[in-house]
Amino acid sequence: MIRRRYSPACIIFISLWIAGAPAVAGVVNPNISVIGQPYLMVTDDPANPDHDRLRMDPGETEVVFDDYLNPFTRGYFTLALNEDGLELEEGWFRILRGLPGALNLKGGKWRQGFGKLNAQHPHTYPFFDGFHVLSEFLPGDESFNESGLELSERLPSPGESSLVASLAWLQGDSFRQVRGDTIGSGDPISLSGDRSEESRPAVLGRLSAFSLIGERSGLDFGLSATSGTNNVAAGTRTTVYGADAKAKLWNSERSYLVLQAEVLKLDREDAGWSCATGYAHETVKPWGWYIYGDYNWDLRWNAGASFERYQAADRDQAWNSAFGLFGGVALMEETTAFRVGWERFRTGSAPGDVQPDPVNTFTLRVIFSMGPHKTHQF
Amino acid sequence: MSYRISFRTVVAALALACCLASSTRAMAKIKVVASLTDLGSIAAAVGGDQVEVKTIARPQSDPHHVEVLPSYMVSVSKARLYLKVGLMLDQWADQIIDGSRNNKVEILDCSAHIIPLEVPTTRVDGRQGDVHPNGNPHYWLDPRNGGIVARDIAAALGRIDPAHEVEFRQRAETFAKECEDSRVDGVARIAALPNRTMITYHASWVYFAEAVAMEVPGHVEPVPGIPPTGGHLQELVDLIRQRQIPVLLQEPYYSQDAPEFLARQTGIRVIKASPSCDSAQPDSYLAHFNKLIAEIVGS
Ligand SMILES: [Zn+2]
Ligand SMILES: [Zn+2]
Repeated sequence: MIRRRYSPACIIFISLWIAGAPAVAGVVNPNISVIGQPYLMVTDDPANPDHDRLRMDPGETEVVFDDYLNPFTRGYFTLALNEDGLELEEGWFRILRGLPGALNLKGGKWRQGFGKLNAQHPHTYPFFDGFHVLSEFLPGDESFNESGLELSERLPSPGESSLVASLAWLQGDSFRQVRGDTIGSGDPISLSGDRSEESRPAVLGRLSAFSLIGERSGLDFGLSATSGTNNVAAGTRTTVYGADAKAKLWNSERSYLVLQAEVLKLDREDAGWSCATGYAHETVKPWGWYIYGDYNWDLRWNAGASFERYQAADRDQAWNSAFGLFGGVALMEETTAFRVGWERFRTGSAPGDVQPDPVNTFTLRVIFSMGPHKTHQF
Repeated sequence: MSYRISFRTVVAALALACCLASSTRAMAKIKVVASLTDLGSIAAAVGGDQVEVKTIARPQSDPHHVEVLPSYMVSVSKARLYLKVGLMLDQWADQIIDGSRNNKVEILDCSAHIIPLEVPTTRVDGRQGDVHPNGNPHYWLDPRNGGIVARDIAAALGRIDPAHEVEFRQRAETFAKECEDSRVDGVARIAALPNRTMITYHASWVYFAEAVAMEVPGHVEPVPGIPPTGGHLQELVDLIRQRQIPVLLQEPYYSQDAPEFLARQTGIRVIKASPSCDSAQPDSYLAHFNKLIAEIVGS
């Protein structure tokens, strides 16, 4: 028997058909999920207005809609409901099949697949929050979340291992950085705002590999790189490189260990300006990493520890570090989870400066979910 | 400027990779992937030498929660037929099939022609636990349903490979007859027992019980997916004593604490058995059924 191939005419037909898809989509309602994530927190961080007092916070509520649009495409929306109102956290479609070869096309806005953790929703983390090194190095405020188009392809690989390459063309908004005003006469920032509202296309590439160990355990490796313009007027760029590894090792039918680590290297040109020479830039090249281990037993209980160490992305590049312990229990088929955590964060200081006191933060978070999107991903 | 050049290079590399991946290939056997070993075993019995079968869920693991691993997607990427359990048991299979990027795989919902049991008649919500809203999906444990699934698989294989359609159909009929023979034999052996009741951990065994005319007066789980409470266990102790229930069937992927407690309290015999057969070998499906009967009658 001979496998059929898709002719260009067929691909054009499918594309047109997808374009006309709304006529057949929405047979019934999409899957709807709502996840609440309230928490209690006590911190001795003097920068926190609630320091040394118990803070009760509703956290961010996540609303997810997802379903197939047609036989080729899936659509997905995540709305974040928080004190700022309702935001479109993610909204994308993905053409899963029908494109030549095994290409997938994803378009819209989503948490970008740089490394392992950034693409994951925070309610699936076993710890309270993402790692400082990621928020320090990756573009964006809370996560590296961008609008764009992504093509991905599964590459040939031996046996049942998997190798996937993806390349995304991004809007580049999250790379933008507002330069500090020099107060020098004629500084463009005080005249026209330094074009800080402009962005330029950015790129993100990723290669990820997976291999089974035995029947059920697995090993993941990934390499990511992203680059974009952080100041259009000065033409300065931010580039981040990352390597990540994850192992999920089952040691019985009902228990497993997850070990995960990422290393990141930032290469960022920070725009500057002087009356004498005009635009200039200074480059920072800090690096850092995190690692965590999480042991899950009886499929419902887990406990683990994390550590991270990274250089601040400024001129001094002092080493910051954080150590954390966490534990949790999931009840009733993942509909409710309780997570406790403690983190001790130590800010680095430049040589000769006084070392600031470490900051301790205790948290207890409840994650409850209605609908098929759960507190943690299997 | 330099990044634009590398962008184009990568696009060209991706385009080349997909041309290689989609190049015409001759295929000797029909590659079948099944969610469960049971469906895989039936497909192997029906497909004979014309099929090569792989399965996803391991028989010792919980089929309700299967981790979607990229390796499974790679297996399905080469498949021509995917066998789903349906009735919302293997919703994880959709993610595997989507991730396979395979546009040619035919998906057969093997529950299409079975008569589901325990179909809720009222609105289902969280109070009923992780109940399957379209009915109990563990239907493969009734050999009569094995026969129905075999005929559906034969029809699907016949569409893919019309040259062997007659063979597929004949093998399915033979298989269905063997299933019925095994069941009739099982009914006779169970009928000889003085007490034909059993407790099961999860509601995995309702089709099995119906197939061999056994009664399941209680489950260790108070509602599907929810571990037992002390109060529920005490009710079970009373029930087991009152009705002198002789056996408790326990799936290997649930905690053994509650069954062990019940055994200590009442002397009930705990049989640890997977609801799924060992492998996708053609004889594995019925061997599993026959072994279950043998364990229950205690021979
Ligand atoms: Zn989520
Ligand atoms: Zn079930």
